[in-house]
Amino acid sequence: MTEALERNIQKWWITIKVSWVKHTAYRMNFFLQMIGPALVFFFVKYNLWSSIYSADKSMIIKGFNFEQMINYHTWAFIVGMVAQGHGSWNLSDDIRMGRISSYLIYPFNFWEFHTASWLSFQCIQIGIASFTLVCVAAAGVLQLPSLEVMTMGVAYTLFISLFWFTMQYFTGVLAFWLEETWILRVMLNIITYFLSGAIIPLDLYPKWIVDILNYTPFPYLTYYPIKIFMGQGSHITQGFFIILFWTIVFAFLNHRIWKKGIRLYTAAGM
Amino acid sequence: MQAPIISVKNLNKHFISYKKSPGVMGSFTSFFKRNPITKEAVKDFSFDVQKGEIIGLLGPNGAGKTTLMKMFTGIIVPSSGELKILGTNPWERDKNFRKKIALVMGQKSQLWWDIPAMDSFLLLQKYYEVSDSDFNERIEKMSKLLGVKDLLHIHVRKLSLGERMKMELMASLLHNPEVIFLDEPTIGLDLVAQDNIREFIKDYHRKNQCAIIITSHYMQDVQALCDRLILIFDGKKGYDGTLDDFENILGNEKVVSFTFNEPQLNDYQILNAYKPQWSEDKTQVELRVCEEDLRSLSSTIIKNYPVTEFATDKMPIERVMKELMNNPELLKSQLV
Repeated sequence: MTEALERNIQKWWITIKVSWVKHTAYRMNFFLQMIGPALVFFFVKYNLWSSIYSADKSMIIKGFNFEQMINYHTWAFIVGMVAQGHGSWNLSDDIRMGRISSYLIYPFNFWEFHTASWLSFQCIQIGIASFTLVCVAAAGVLQLPSLEVMTMGVAYTLFISLFWFTMQYFTGVLAFWLEETWILRVMLNIITYFLSGAIIPLDLYPKWIVDILNYTPFPYLTYYPIKIFMGQGSHITQGFFIILFWTIVFAFLNHRIWKKGIRLYTAAGM
Repeated sequence: MQAPIISVKNLNKHFISYKKSPGVMGSFTSFFKRNPITKEAVKDFSFDVQKGEIIGLLGPNGAGKTTLMKMFTGIIVPSSGELKILGTNPWERDKNFRKKIALVMGQKSQLWWDIPAMDSFLLLQKYYEVSDSDFNERIEKMSKLLGVKDLLHIHVRKLSLGERMKMELMASLLHNPEVIFLDEPTIGLDLVAQDNIREFIKDYHRKNQCAIIITSHYMQDVQALCDRLILIFDGKKGYDGTLDDFENILGNEKVVSFTFNEPQLNDYQILNAYKPQWSEDKTQVELRVCEEDLRSLSSTIIKNYPVTEFATDKMPIERVMKELMNNPELLKSQLV
């Protein structure tokens, strides 16, 4: 390993460590981050589907009985936590409030800092997701799949999280032009939530809509990864290439936008 | 003569913003039609800085000081002109260039708020590729000099402004930069903390002979640290020279103050020619007297009035600055 590469790895490693310390700096916040989504999930989704199936526990909705539906939503919760947990709030705020000035001076690039921070965030999310998974499995809500299926599902979910990060980064760097990007991000999150199968399984959507959606990245963000974990994996290769394509598109756009945006940057507020 | 460390030639920077009328109608109209306004923040600015120089960059708010600092450090891109720092275009943001400069912003923290300063220092150690031995030695020395050794492991958000500023200074000097940009480093600090920071910078400069550019509203900073002053008004360079020359810019006048044993309620015609400034209780007056008149005027006043105290001094730099800010045309003869 060359000395320069070794030094660069050290820079990434220390950034990941410091970001980790930052993410866990506030104990109560971290605790709520751990249990909050799980509580919301069980109070809202579990109760909703319990009510729907309460009349007839053996009812089948588009191939899903009650247990399968809860299984689906538990996996949606886990996948969402790992693949779509990251937001770009810090990134766009850094640009808007002129805070990126520090990163422009340090000999470690802005994208490197944010990517390392994301990796650190992902480590925490994976930890929380694993903990949640063990808890729900212990409670008998979910049956853990085989090691092979699990490995495949985790690898696919992590790959999607990379795509999600490049897309979030894209909405973040738009702050060079848009003074507020939160509406854009909220819209994107809501659209993703609906079209990815996070609210209800795509099996409940009309077939023609699903056929169209299959050409977009959305179903591969939640629906198909869940199917992998449930042992019904399909569209894996197609999903991989579609997500890869969009990851490359967003990475390219991010590079171009940064190059152009930084020339417009005024470091307001400094 | 060595090549300058900083070379600025005909530098210009303009910003475009959009005018918006007040109220809901204003918002609605600006939604469809925006009126751009171009602000010339820096105009045709030129100067050179040699190794080891400390330069004070002074000017009123909005004059363009911080814009210049942003261009020097590569944070923003100049609109036109030539700018070389250590032989490099700062806005190309070459990593090797970034390792040789430092910026301290008094009004903006560069440390991470949610973690102790030491964690930030460790991060910067890796970023700037400082060896462990150098790092430990510098941290030890600087924290001792600044009196913050016990605060290194406290969260930055829990430090006072003065303590935080000392940490900011430490963070920016860990990598032994060749050029340091200090943007109002003592702003908001009490007198003791201001003095500490100045002494520290002076000491650091003496040992390292780096080039320093400092902007400040406190004239004590400039007097304590700078060899050379550059004045900026409305984006243009107004003055570039030594501190001594600057103090004489309004002529060879001295400030003479007389204190009387009781309030002086009469109108002293003799003083009117010397721009008298009376204290509120009329027991003290300050005059601006040219060197030629100093002796005769002082003896006349001491002889004829109940003077208890008498002091004379050079024109304070604050006074010169204030006078120039109110009347920038006085600088026209000095324009370089």
